[in-house]
Amino acid sequence: MMLDRIMERHRETLILLRRNRKIKAGASILAVILAIAVIGPYTTEYGPLEYTGAIGEPPSSRHPLGTNTFGYDLYSQVVYGLRSSILIGLLGGILATAIGVLIGFISGYFGGIIDELLMMLTNIFLVIPTLALLIIIAAYIEHRGILIESVIIGLTSWPWTARAVRANTLSLRNREFVYLARMSGMPTRSIILREIAPNMLSYIIMVFILQFGGAILYAVSLDFIGLGPTKGISLGVILQQAVLWNAVQLGMWWWAIPPGLLIALLLTSLYVINTGLDEVLNPRLRRQG
Amino acid sequence: MQARFKSIVPLLLSILVLQVVLSINASAQELPRNETIYVGGGLWAPSSNFNPLTPWAAATGSVGLIYEPLFLYIPIKDEFVPWLAEEGKWVSDNVYEVKLREAKWHDGTPLTAEDVKFTFEYAKIHQGIYYSSIWNWLDRIEVVDERTVRFVFSEPHYPEWTYYLYTLYIIPKHIWEKIENPLEEANTNPIGSGMYKLKSYDQNQVVYERNDEWWGKDAFGTPGPKYIVYLRVASNNVALAMLVRGELDWSNFFLPGVPQLVKQYEFIHTWYKDRPYHLPANVAFLFINNQKYPLNLTEFRRAMAYAINVDEIIERVFEGTVLKSNSVGFLPIPSWQRFYAKDLDEEMGFKYDPDKANEILDKLGFKDIDGDGYRETPSGERLRLTIIVPFGWTDWMESIRIIAENLGQVGINVEPKFPDFSKYFDDLTKGYFDLAINNFNSFVSPTPWTMYNWLFYEDTPPIGENSWNGNFGRYFNDEITQLLGEVLVTPMDDEATLRELYRKIQEIFLRDLPYIPLWYNGFWFQASTLHWTGWPSEDNPYGVPVTWPGNWQLGGVLTLLNLKPVVREETKTTTSPVVTTVTKTQEVTETVTVTEKGQVVTKEVVKTQTTVITKTVEQTVEQMTTPTGGNNTLIAVAVVIIVVLAALALLRRR
Amino acid sequence: MGLIRYIGKKAVIYLATFFVAVTLNWAIPRFMPGNPIGILLSRFATLPESAEVMYSYFTQAFGLDKPLYEQYINFWRALLNGDLGVSIYLYPQKVRDIVLEALPYDIVLIVPAVIVSWIVGNWLGALASTNRRLDNILMPIFYFLTASPYFWMAIVLAWVFTVTIPIFPPSGAYSPGISPSLSLSFIVDFLKHWILPFLSLLLVMLGGWAIGMRNMIIYELESNYSRYMEALGAPNRLILRYAFRNAMLPQITGLALQIGLAVAGAITTEIVFSYPGLGYLMLQAIQNQDYFLMQGAFLVIVIMVLISNFVIDIVYAIVDPRVRYTYTGETG
Repeated sequence: MMLDRIMERHRETLILLRRNRKIKAGASILAVILAIAVIGPYTTEYGPLEYTGAIGEPPSSRHPLGTNTFGYDLYSQVVYGLRSSILIGLLGGILATAIGVLIGFISGYFGGIIDELLMMLTNIFLVIPTLALLIIIAAYIEHRGILIESVIIGLTSWPWTARAVRANTLSLRNREFVYLARMSGMPTRSIILREIAPNMLSYIIMVFILQFGGAILYAVSLDFIGLGPTKGISLGVILQQAVLWNAVQLGMWWWAIPPGLLIALLLTSLYVINTGLDEVLNPRLRRQG
Repeated sequence: MQARFKSIVPLLLSILVLQVVLSINASAQELPRNETIYVGGGLWAPSSNFNPLTPWAAATGSVGLIYEPLFLYIPIKDEFVPWLAEEGKWVSDNVYEVKLREAKWHDGTPLTAEDVKFTFEYAKIHQGIYYSSIWNWLDRIEVVDERTVRFVFSEPHYPEWTYYLYTLYIIPKHIWEKIENPLEEANTNPIGSGMYKLKSYDQNQVVYERNDEWWGKDAFGTPGPKYIVYLRVASNNVALAMLVRGELDWSNFFLPGVPQLVKQYEFIHTWYKDRPYHLPANVAFLFINNQKYPLNLTEFRRAMAYAINVDEIIERVFEGTVLKSNSVGFLPIPSWQRFYAKDLDEEMGFKYDPDKANEILDKLGFKDIDGDGYRETPSGERLRLTIIVPFGWTDWMESIRIIAENLGQVGINVEPKFPDFSKYFDDLTKGYFDLAINNFNSFVSPTPWTMYNWLFYEDTPPIGENSWNGNFGRYFNDEITQLLGEVLVTPMDDEATLRELYRKIQEIFLRDLPYIPLWYNGFWFQASTLHWTGWPSEDNPYGVPVTWPGNWQLGGVLTLLNLKPVVREETKTTTSPVVTTVTKTQEVTETVTVTEKGQVVTKEVVKTQTTVITKTVEQTVEQMTTPTGGNNTLIAVAVVIIVVLAALALLRRR
Repeated sequence: MGLIRYIGKKAVIYLATFFVAVTLNWAIPRFMPGNPIGILLSRFATLPESAEVMYSYFTQAFGLDKPLYEQYINFWRALLNGDLGVSIYLYPQKVRDIVLEALPYDIVLIVPAVIVSWIVGNWLGALASTNRRLDNILMPIFYFLTASPYFWMAIVLAWVFTVTIPIFPPSGAYSPGISPSLSLSFIVDFLKHWILPFLSLLLVMLGGWAIGMRNMIIYELESNYSRYMEALGAPNRLILRYAFRNAMLPQITGLALQIGLAVAGAITTEIVFSYPGLGYLMLQAIQNQDYFLMQGAFLVIVIMVLISNFVIDIVYAIVDPRVRYTYTGETG
């Protein structure tokens, strides 16, 4: 029901979305990377932590990304690692977006003392350096898994979303159609669901994309510092070990470069998609010609 | 807008200037190579602590080089070398007398009996000093004359006292009596009595300079190197590269690939020219939680002992650089071997025999009911155990993978796990683990009491509380406690009594098998003869060449006294050898004899060998390039170009 | 009036933040399992007799045997006296001294990187916004730069400039054989070690600024006042100038947020180059389970970020008075 309404309302936007070059480009890079994450693990004969017998070998047909000092196949590590990194990004991103939207919306819609308190909380979390906080928390958790990691990322990276959503809510709240709805005695729940939510949806999607990317970045950084999952592999853990075992100094670029390149490309695609969405949904950013 | 960005120009210019400046080579002040020895393997943290009362935090060399013990102890010969002491002996059952040499402190003050007395009594006032527990059984110290001191014991703990004779470092009274909180002192200007003084220290190294006024010159000679640069090397790989390049003279690192290294380079020196290359240092035990079912069943533990193939670990993980332990964990050093009950070991000990393990487990009623390849408990419950070592301890990580495999082959489901060190240590000391490897206090010593005291310390708290000894698995046996108590008060020279006591302990150990001794971790030692010679070895075993913190008195100190610089012709200053290491891996089909199912079978095993190939290239300094660099640059450039092109192609408008 | 109220209100927020951060910092290690004293002593092979005595002594010395509320009060009291406790890993150095020794290295990395990237990034962004061809070439690069994890950029630079073309040293803040002084050779040596970590921070931040600036200018150029000016026949340069000035303001607020991110970036970058700042210190503290050092480093990072944010907030409020009106609820 609701979906239909949204589709109808946004028909023109959808066409524009499909035409936007940035979205096309970003989406195709993203699709390739996601495909690697999904299919990759089925294309390798080695487990990510399986001793292959080849130690520190450069890329070859048997080991497309070479092997590391411990004799692990890096292609396997990268494809499995990509999977968990994306998973953390998704979970953390969803959580951060949800908390941010909830707090921002409540704050903006209801105002008053609730707004004051929530914004106080938001501002506090906004200035605490997230990575440092994450380090402190993660350092004390004994069994760090993907779930825990994404939860602590989600719990610490929502503030800017809350602030942005609050501003957005404030402006929507004062728009005519909401005002009219309220005048006509429509219950709050219906106003939120029927009038405000559909208008904010596109915005929330954009926020989510950024949070998704942000969560991946935070997770990779945490892993890199040595506070990643205690079991299993992720792109950050590969990079951490590469630095710890002097891969770069020993000339083993195949250990240190590809995992980061993949992260950078993944995030580039997300940012580009986001900008594309922004151009479509916010016509003032569109350049003529 | 243009005007605004003009300010950019000077900035860019200054960056350019910076680049030019950077191309100038900084000339670092260097110590003369023929007087300097570069050492590594015992310094892992940036050091700024030289306090002999906190040896657990002090930079390696603080104790040993600057502060000295009364005796050195050379475990390979079971010999106490009188050092600050000229002589030490029991004058009665409870009085030990020490006669001192004519030593003096770095500041010229003579080292007297008062200093020795003060060093001990200091720990009475400051409880946090590591030897303060000595006062539970030491009654008083009497200064007989300037150079004679007597220790009067209320209850002489002979083996414990022997241990302290070489691990306790004498401090100058006239300096430390003025210090209020000696345990919070970094002591960055250490005044000791040793043959070296602290020259400088920073994040990456500690530099010691020879004390040319050393009191021991006449008795012991002069140490060869004028300077000791103790380097903090980032990793084993880097240490290996430095050793091969002649930048490191003395390495106490665990280096992978030692057999190949020795074969490849004539100038690399090890204790033994062949396997196992290293002297044994301590015993690695498989710790078993004696309080957890089914690990509390003696026969279950015995089955595990039969199932583990230590030879395989030594081959695959250590490349033959360590030795397999006997069934009681007695190190192959004279002081321990004297009490080793070989006949008991042969009669009651274990060896790799999976059939025997299966038999025991079958008899115990552990059977695979659901057909998943793993045994269930007699009551039909699934059985899953875990084995832990700290993350990053690669040799142990690989070892427990093999142990888990071995145990899996007899149907015991064991999962190897690699928690962070803090978690590992917490689980171990609190008794929350199933199986774990540890070797922290099974070190070489003048008496096996040190190991047994660690393993079976009587005040082990229950599971859930921290223990500070080696009885991690909470094995309690009153008989052992009593026997160890007797060992403690039996004079060291009463060998007949001691032999009887140790024999009983070994019998109980073999009967109950609370823990399984696996192999002897080595005194890792690789030296380079490019700049220094005179290293100790199998043929010239004057001491253990170890530089780990608190271990110099096992022979590291003597090594320094024996080292001589290599006299060489001056090499041309314009050229310097550039040695590059290329690690090449090859598969070697090897014939290995393996005991399988009780029979000796000859098997072809495909083994991977890491071969280090080195090319020495004489190259002018100006043309310094990494030989593999060209290839890498090409790939790097290609990757960047591809990425940029791809991005451009996807994003280009029009 | 407005400014003072604004500053007052901001100050309350920052104080509250500080309080929360300190409390979290105190609480986390105390409610999590793990035993710092046990780990401290685990490095020392000694007789159990000794370990037992030392264990109880150091538990007392570190004040870990007291009731929690007392530990909390003592923590604050010590903190206000500038006492951050004693490090375990670098025993017996004071955490405060270690942290203060590391801090300058962060400052020389972060401050120039933020300022230079801000200036250069905004400049390039402005250029891109006015030049279509440049825009098409630069934008993908900017996106890629801003998407790269700081430490990966550092790895790439390290690989290129210390291994492939070995012109810079791979690690540390200065060569091991040299001791810090104001001599030319030391300064040169220091800069040689500094340039790569600095560049990796600079490059990543650059991308973000450029994208932000470019988008803001385009946004402004498409706005009503620009259209109006265009219709009035105003010269392009003038329109651009207004657009640029308006686009500049959000970039200043961005600066405040960037400080926190830059600190995070510096933490990981320093690890790659073993650069002895707070980040590297934090890593070593984590690897050696030195909780006291970890907390000290965290606290100093928080204080640094709070102060710089506060300063930028005030500067911004002076530059753009509208901010403080909306913030304090006054109507402009």
